[in-house]
Amino acid sequence: MKELRRNMRIVGTIVVIAFIGLASWFALTAYEQGTMWASDSYNTRLKKSNSQRGDIYDRYGTVLATVSDGQRVYLSETAARRALAATLGDTAGLSGTGVEGYYSAQLLDLSESMLERLSAVFNGAPRKGSSVRLTVDAALTAYVSSIFPSGSRGAVVILNYRTGEILAMVSKPDYDPANLSATVEDTAYLNRCLQGRYTPGSVFKIVTLTSALENDPNVVGQSFVCNGTWEYEGGRIVCASGRTAHGTVDLKTAFAKSCNVSFGKLAYQLGLTRLRDTAERLGFNENFKLGDFALYNSQFPTEIGNMSDLVWAGIGQGTVLVTPMHMAMITSAVANNGMMMKPYLVKDIITAAGVTTKTGASQEYRQVMSASVAQTVSAYMYEAVQSGTAQRAAVKGYTVCGKTGSAETSDDKTVETNSWYTGFVMDSAHPYAIAVVIEQGGAGSRLASELASDALAMAIQRN
Amino acid sequence: MSNRVEKMRKALMRANTRLLLSAVLVFQLLSLGLSAFRGGQVSAQTLVFAVVVPLTTYLMTNLLGKIFPVDRAILILVLLLMSVGLVTMTGIAKSESTPRTHAVYLAGSCVAMVIGVVFVRVWQMTKRRAVLLAALCLAALVAPYLPKIGVYRNGARNWIQIIPDRLTVQPSEFMKPVLILVLASGFSNRPRFVKCLVPIGFAAICCAILLAEHDLGAVLLYFLTTVFMYYAATSNAVLTLAGLGMGCGAAVAAYRSLEYVRDRVAIWQNPWSDPQGTGYQLVQSLIAIGSGGLVGMGLGLGSPTNVPLYHSDFVYASIAEEFGLIFAVGLLAVYVIIILRGLITAGNARTSFHSLTAFGLVVLLGLQTMLIVGGTTKLLPLTGVTLPLVAYGGSSLVSNAFSMGMLLGISSMNAEDEARDIERIALREEGVL
Repeated sequence: MKELRRNMRIVGTIVVIAFIGLASWFALTAYEQGTMWASDSYNTRLKKSNSQRGDIYDRYGTVLATVSDGQRVYLSETAARRALAATLGDTAGLSGTGVEGYYSAQLLDLSESMLERLSAVFNGAPRKGSSVRLTVDAALTAYVSSIFPSGSRGAVVILNYRTGEILAMVSKPDYDPANLSATVEDTAYLNRCLQGRYTPGSVFKIVTLTSALENDPNVVGQSFVCNGTWEYEGGRIVCASGRTAHGTVDLKTAFAKSCNVSFGKLAYQLGLTRLRDTAERLGFNENFKLGDFALYNSQFPTEIGNMSDLVWAGIGQGTVLVTPMHMAMITSAVANNGMMMKPYLVKDIITAAGVTTKTGASQEYRQVMSASVAQTVSAYMYEAVQSGTAQRAAVKGYTVCGKTGSAETSDDKTVETNSWYTGFVMDSAHPYAIAVVIEQGGAGSRLASELASDALAMAIQRN
Repeated sequence: MSNRVEKMRKALMRANTRLLLSAVLVFQLLSLGLSAFRGGQVSAQTLVFAVVVPLTTYLMTNLLGKIFPVDRAILILVLLLMSVGLVTMTGIAKSESTPRTHAVYLAGSCVAMVIGVVFVRVWQMTKRRAVLLAALCLAALVAPYLPKIGVYRNGARNWIQIIPDRLTVQPSEFMKPVLILVLASGFSNRPRFVKCLVPIGFAAICCAILLAEHDLGAVLLYFLTTVFMYYAATSNAVLTLAGLGMGCGAAVAAYRSLEYVRDRVAIWQNPWSDPQGTGYQLVQSLIAIGSGGLVGMGLGLGSPTNVPLYHSDFVYASIAEEFGLIFAVGLLAVYVIIILRGLITAGNARTSFHSLTAFGLVVLLGLQTMLIVGGTTKLLPLTGVTLPLVAYGGSSLVSNAFSMGMLLGISSMNAEDEARDIERIALREEGVL
């Protein structure tokens, strides 16, 4: 009996400890994540809530969303309203992302005390939720949307690389939040900036270059021979220019001219482990927890079948995938001396009573590369705009650094490449970084670069 | 001397339980009384509840406590849990019939509890009776497979209908106390390993039947209860760990070979991958919990009926939404106190059979609560078990009430034994003096 009692005490203690552990875990997660769960777009309570949604403003105080006669209304001008739809989302939960969904708990003030909620039930008066001020510039967003090639699909992200503020997010095709019953183009409810996982193509060379500079300081002086194609064991790689060979080039020229042969060789030289380590430090294969929105993860292969996979990964083809937001974050880190800033969308949240409940602040995400590597990469990106493939991305009177990409999405070249550009303005008064992808837009040196040039010029002009 | 100390200790305990009882009565009166006047119209049914429930709680505590010296703390807390279930149903159900049915189940449960007390006090366990119970258990578990009376419901074939369309019961619920009695009998008096094989084999067959019926929650509960009882009885850590390892192996094998097990795990890992399909229950459950916040939406003010099975499997999410996080965690504390007092009861029992029975009942209660609370809150994969003593469902309520009755019965036997001891010591002291 004595032994039985002892054993029962042991097992009993285990059960009780497990029980208390479960209770604490439940309490903690529910406390921490409860608001996030409650603001899920599948929460039908939100639609029934008798409180009136708070307003949403852009960084300059423009009212982007308010309530009039019990109806949610957005900007009156159709084009601008559609342009901001990706950022704002909708109240019906059609788009999985957006401020309306992500911050509905605050916009509806679900977090308010039960007493207030009870009194509201009794006196029936509609309450007003908190208002949310965003970091985005509505006019800039509308402008970028207006210069996006009509009928094309794709995404544009503009960030302040010193602070991490999101200035503009444009996703095409878009939809009209004022007319949700209308039929929309397929996948229009997707915010491609955050949820679009694209093959990066040559913009990924920024990552390969970073890895090379980190692992081998002598690589700067190395020269590569490009005959236009490179036949290796099990495959071959062609330079985007196809017929023209780049000849013997140094690393800087290879980058500026976006030489696939050189970067394929460079990737092979580095090996999967080193390239993957750099990519993962830059945020590939990472579950981002950014707070203001859900960002899909970017992908870099963790293992490869053969040499071909490695060579293609080095030039951003194969199974490499990236979101436009993540690409803009990487470019921002290059511009910001290697420090990646945490992108944020909400400047502050103020309750109807005037109490500020949340203030978005500039936060460092991670030092993703050393300052000296970042400066070298910047210099190479500057060269690409000066004399390389990104010349059309130049902005008059400003130092612009950039990289183009023409990502192949089919094996047989029947589909036009996705046109990519990512770059930044090197100017402390206008620290803007951009990522552009235009689906089937052809070479990145054309459409995407031109769009980026106009967009950044407008961003500079507006501030 | 010791006599007087003992008397004082008891008086103090009684004062404490009186305070506890008053608190429970106030909760029942207020919650049901206020619910009756909700929404501008008076609900006669809820008013009746508001009178009958506290009255029953008061009478049960005092009458049952007077006849048998049961552990009143356990009794009051069990009655509290049962009334929380009724209050929740009253607050959230779409129609009045759900709380009415629940009240009928609760009445049955009270009867079952009294039967449990009496049963465990008079039942003499013999080898023949144990074999008979085991046979009964196996027969009941196989019953859902019989044509005509077997019913398939919510993804599991674990129901039988006694009266078609009127009365269906879940044998796996009713057989839980039977399993514990059989195991306690088989494991009592420090048996050698060979002798343990019979009850272990019996439990294994039970698990196999339940697995075939897709009743994953019951499989887990039966298995873990058996393992823990085996360890307590034999202190054979090596074999216990081997048993647990085998269980893990079986779980991996089940995951590999059974599609419905893989589905459950996939939903648990990421319910948001299919929030409107397979992940719907869990996503809605988390949304309900999140919407409740710290202090809840208020009784009857939330809309937990969005959660499928809001009154049975997901009642905990409903409670968290209506009453809030603080209450929901407090409810878990009630279970912990019942478990702790139950463990004391098990430790004080005079025979190893009663000791093991009480222990098994307590462990089962704890495990079942953990499984379902963990499942509703995404800590564990969801297995279809109910929140004991709270969730809607006649089989589960009655069976758990019977189990708690047995636990109370054992506690009353302990108290009597103790009183007898004290008397004897007092007599001896007097004799010496």
